[in-house]
Amino acid sequence: MAGARTPTAPPDVGGVTDDALLTVRAAEGDEDAFAVLVQRHAPALIRLATRLLGTPAEAEDAVQEAFLSAWRRLPEFQGRASFGTWMYRIVTNRCLNVLRARRPVAPLEAAGEVPAAEHTTSPERLAESRDAVRELREALDRLSAEQRTCWVLRELDGRSYEFIADAVGLSQEAVRARVFRARRCLTRALGAWR
Amino acid sequence: MTTHTDPPDDARVHGDDEHLPCGRPLSRVWDDWERRTEDPHRTGCPHCRRAVRELDELETAVRGLREEFPGTDAYDAGPLTRRVMDLVRLELRPGRPLPLGEPAEDLWIMEAVAARALREAAETVDGVRAGSCRLAPADGPDTGAVELRLDIHAPAGAGLPELAERVRRRVRETADRHLGMVIAAVDIRVTDLVDAPAGDQEGRTA
Repeated sequence: MAGARTPTAPPDVGGVTDDALLTVRAAEGDEDAFAVLVQRHAPALIRLATRLLGTPAEAEDAVQEAFLSAWRRLPEFQGRASFGTWMYRIVTNRCLNVLRARRPVAPLEAAGEVPAAEHTTSPERLAESRDAVRELREALDRLSAEQRTCWVLRELDGRSYEFIADAVGLSQEAVRARVFRARRCLTRALGAWR
Repeated sequence: MTTHTDPPDDARVHGDDEHLPCGRPLSRVWDDWERRTEDPHRTGCPHCRRAVRELDELETAVRGLREEFPGTDAYDAGPLTRRVMDLVRLELRPGRPLPLGEPAEDLWIMEAVAARALREAAETVDGVRAGSCRLAPADGPDTGAVELRLDIHAPAGAGLPELAERVRRRVRETADRHLGMVIAAVDIRVTDLVDAPAGDQEGRTA
């Protein structure tokens, strides 16, 4: 059930005990149950955090902190959302805080940690598209924390405005405005590069 | 938590929207394009076409960026899980101590530890999954006994009173033989009925 509506949900590891039961057990102090939840949800959350922050090392730190915070808050977890959705929210907000603290623009070499994908197109197109992606990555670093977060959840993670609004604690209209501003900054950056 | 950057939210969605030379707001042109709305003006207007082309080029770069992030299958969660659990074990929530054995023995077990063993016992009954398991010293002075409330998911189609009795028996056996805990009462709440997985029948049968 956790993350059934989330495109980044991992396959059910083991598939034996569902998240709701494991969450209740973990809330009652069963750390083994929590370990299963961590193992099960870590890949999707790492991908989310890497998309938001741009570097795998920072993503690992953010997700680790988010899980620790979840363990501390589990006794108060009411189970209104699934564990996966709850964690998505915690990770998003942790990344948002990391981005807020990261001012001014992040060092460019940090973005280089993400390995380049293999393409099967002509060398010119390949070089051009790589340049565009590099430019896009650099332009992302110049967005505000909120713009970047809303844009990443929308464009890279494929979330609805409603879902994003819930995750970051903004109104849907505010999320739309941030995605719009982000798009405008990014199209301009790509235009300037050309 | 620091705040900065964005201007405060207000009712205007695209408060800093810009208008194209043709008069259309850029936000509307992009929204319409995203929703695949038919618009004869857009097809004919060079400004709108340019705005749409720029968004399209951004989307192409975004696709390239998406491909640069490895899939979730590639991620080995083992090391991270170990790091998280090392930290979690410094902050355990073991619950309250509960009496074991005779009242005079002064022997105790932590609630979370006992609960784990008793959940496992309940799950030896076919198709049963255990959730919340709360333990408390039984009422009365120094009884040395413990009351237990256990939530379970039961297989659909099972006779619930009989199933609950089997669960009670397993829980009492484990409490008695493996923990040395005297159980005064076992309250069982069925919180969900689930379809039994196909492989479950041959498993740990009663």
